[in-house]
Amino acid sequence: MKLISNTSTVKPLIIAITAVFTFVVPCTNAATLAITNATIHTVTEQGTINNGTVIIENGKITAILSAKESEAVKADKIIDAKGKILTPGLISSMNQLGLVEVGAVSTTRDAADKKADITFDASLAFNPKSTVIPYSRKGGITRSIVSPYGGESIFKGHAFVVDLSASFDSVIAKNSAVVVALGAKSEGSRALDLQILANKLEDADKKLAKAKITAENSTTDANGAKGTKAKKGNAKKEDEPKRDEKIINDLLAGNTPLLVYADRATDLLVLIGLKKRFNLDLIIVGAADAELVSKQLASENIPVIVNAMDNLPGSFDSLHTSLTSAANLTAAGVKVILSVADTHNMYQLRFSAGNAVANGLSKEDALAAITANVADSFSLNAGRIAIGYAADLVLWSADPFELSTQVEKIWIGGKEVSTTSRHDALRDRYTTQSNMPRAYTK
Amino acid sequence: MLKQNQTNFAVKLLAITVSLTLTACLNSEVQDAKISINTNPYPSTYQPLPQQKTLIQSATVLTGTGQRIDNADVLFVDGKIQQIGQNLEIQDAVQIDGKGKWITPGIIDVHSHLGVYPSPSVESHADGNEMTSPNTSEVWAEHSVWPQDPGFQKARAGGITTLQILPGSANLFGGRGVTLRNVPSHTTQGMKFPQAPYGLKMACGENPKRVYGKKNITPSTRMGNVAGYRSAWAQASEYKRAWDKYNADYALGKNPQAPKRNLTNDTLKGVLDGDILIHNHCYKAEEMAVMIDIGKEFNYKSGTFHHGIEAYKIADLLAANGNCVAMWPDWWGFKMEAYDMVQENVAIVDAIKNSCAIVHSDSGTTIQRLNQEAGKVMYRANENGFDLKAKDAIRWITLNAAKALGVDDKTGSVELGKKADLVLWDQNPFSVYAHAEQVFIDGAKVYDRHDKAYQAISDFMLGQHTIEQGE
Repeated sequence: MKLISNTSTVKPLIIAITAVFTFVVPCTNAATLAITNATIHTVTEQGTINNGTVIIENGKITAILSAKESEAVKADKIIDAKGKILTPGLISSMNQLGLVEVGAVSTTRDAADKKADITFDASLAFNPKSTVIPYSRKGGITRSIVSPYGGESIFKGHAFVVDLSASFDSVIAKNSAVVVALGAKSEGSRALDLQILANKLEDADKKLAKAKITAENSTTDANGAKGTKAKKGNAKKEDEPKRDEKIINDLLAGNTPLLVYADRATDLLVLIGLKKRFNLDLIIVGAADAELVSKQLASENIPVIVNAMDNLPGSFDSLHTSLTSAANLTAAGVKVILSVADTHNMYQLRFSAGNAVANGLSKEDALAAITANVADSFSLNAGRIAIGYAADLVLWSADPFELSTQVEKIWIGGKEVSTTSRHDALRDRYTTQSNMPRAYTK
Repeated sequence: MLKQNQTNFAVKLLAITVSLTLTACLNSEVQDAKISINTNPYPSTYQPLPQQKTLIQSATVLTGTGQRIDNADVLFVDGKIQQIGQNLEIQDAVQIDGKGKWITPGIIDVHSHLGVYPSPSVESHADGNEMTSPNTSEVWAEHSVWPQDPGFQKARAGGITTLQILPGSANLFGGRGVTLRNVPSHTTQGMKFPQAPYGLKMACGENPKRVYGKKNITPSTRMGNVAGYRSAWAQASEYKRAWDKYNADYALGKNPQAPKRNLTNDTLKGVLDGDILIHNHCYKAEEMAVMIDIGKEFNYKSGTFHHGIEAYKIADLLAANGNCVAMWPDWWGFKMEAYDMVQENVAIVDAIKNSCAIVHSDSGTTIQRLNQEAGKVMYRANENGFDLKAKDAIRWITLNAAKALGVDDKTGSVELGKKADLVLWDQNPFSVYAHAEQVFIDGAKVYDRHDKAYQAISDFMLGQHTIEQGE
């Protein structure tokens, strides 16, 4: 089954890539891996390449070849995909992977802390040996945007990026976004939270402007009388921004995305206003009412992270969510990211994409919503099959979104990883005949 | 037996005081009005929606009984399935072209909290669990159901025709569940499945001991849980004996005093009498094994285990005792007792002779896709040595579910004479892309994906100007 048919754009780009290939061929000294004869869903303008080859070296994709070019492939290892579908590794988001092993076991939970504030960096607690990681690979997930719950503050901490290699260096990026939660409250008013956020940004913005003026004046002074030097030093010490201020300053500078949980259309509009005013790199999560303000979201290039299965009016903030939201938002020009927030079952991400397709999203857009769109929003060098990108790849037995399909092979950073988890060991134990107690079956 | 007892009784009484002899021996004694418990005080008022004689032609039929019939016609008349065959020619029936489409029995969810934990999930709607005592067998879920829960409509669009609404799992005995027809109604009685037995929700494990342990009352441990069940069954057994004796004595013409009515024990007695079916939230192998033995100890059927995460460890035991088990395909990790999940759980349970494996939802979201939930199990199991087909997997969400609810003589399969509870799917229902196109309950169309006239909207959603309603 053809997932993406975009052959018209493939040809001219293939020509461009031939040049790169000739560059790759001499590098036979480094360990190269070639995945040949694959139906490559690049999630780039190249679209789908039939019977193509992907060359991997040092954890990166170094070449993508058409069927014709593939005839001359040389590599240390060649894997014949036999025409099956190769996609970028899927990127899940907004879960607590590696921060929660068992939900109701408090000592295995590190995603929240009552005292957590804007500086909360849960990546320090990330456990790459969590059993959720190999299980999630069954769903073709190679990376995840992990998001903390925080505490009482509206600032929940920093989202961070991990790969699912289960190695001790799997935290790829820290401080990938500042997480804020807004909206309906059981005590108090949502207005106050919106004010807190706006005031924090406004105060920091003013302080930065003031510091800029002071800095300019100081420079003028430095050129003048000698006696001002000591004074200047003091002023600098006082002005050194505190940790939380630095974080807000990074938001204002557009260095870090602001990742906000919000659903009701009025909250989304306030956020859109803040983005315009402070030129923020804004991403909205939940976004149940997003369809009501899809034009504004599209024109301000605000990505939204939605759950494709959300169609119940769980609160008065989410009366307008439906199974067709992902499709309708995409059609309106909004960059949509699909997410399965349930940490333990983020493997279902591909089924969410399938359900979005069943409800009007194109297969191309659905694949982008779990790969390239996530990568773009969080500045990851992944999520596409393109030269220079991380070799996070999945080879599927058939259509990646179908229930009947399974992962055949999965690579993270060019290394093949297993999809076997503790669950398989338990299944095998209880389906293997033995005259001894099960505990002896290993 | 009775006659002999009567004689012995009379002889004994003669030996006792005269006054007693007078009251007990006179057959002509005036009896007070018989006290009897009305077991159906909130009767169903459900009426099928307008029905039409309907013929679906040339579809692939999964019967729910383990059969697949290709290119089949299904005729239903007056709410019942009248003919299943090929090239049926029925002049006066509504004809539906089923080419390329699939027919299954109406989907049944044995574990739902729709209506009792409805959307929106505001405090005012948190009516699903009377968390004030470990034994609240006296509460009935039907008295909490909000029939305007928009989730009922969404579930119908996913092919759900029958569902059991259960109380939550905080208590050892959570109260009675109720089985509903998934039709729109502004009363709960209007949805009640006529003649369906009541269920009694029980719960094992972490939830009861956590909820009551925190309050520093029993149970605070798993052994406390078991003591709680046993003590309740012991009391209920006495209650039953008292009523049985009252009824027997009255039948003998005596004028006994009726036992004092106890609503908690009414429900438990209903189980001991075999009228109410147990639905037991129970994850772990060792706990299910104990629950089976408690049933034997107090002489009742241990019924259906729900959320049986570890059922695969005791598949033989469950089948041998006639327990149904309702399971998720993949939920895990949210509690310690949900840590040992395997994706083939349902298939492993199903593989034993006389088993009764069920896929349930416990969710307003996945109830909309039980076909996909069952599909996931089938495909994962087939990747690991099973050879399951669509005709097998459909049973987990139809006939086996009907069996657990005690309505398998009425619904759950495409068979002659059974209720025409049917779903017409636009393709193989075990595809991620499948949609229920038309849904029938008692032969009446209750949902049509392509006809807004058959898409009900709850009072709550009406006039909310949603995009979905085209506003």
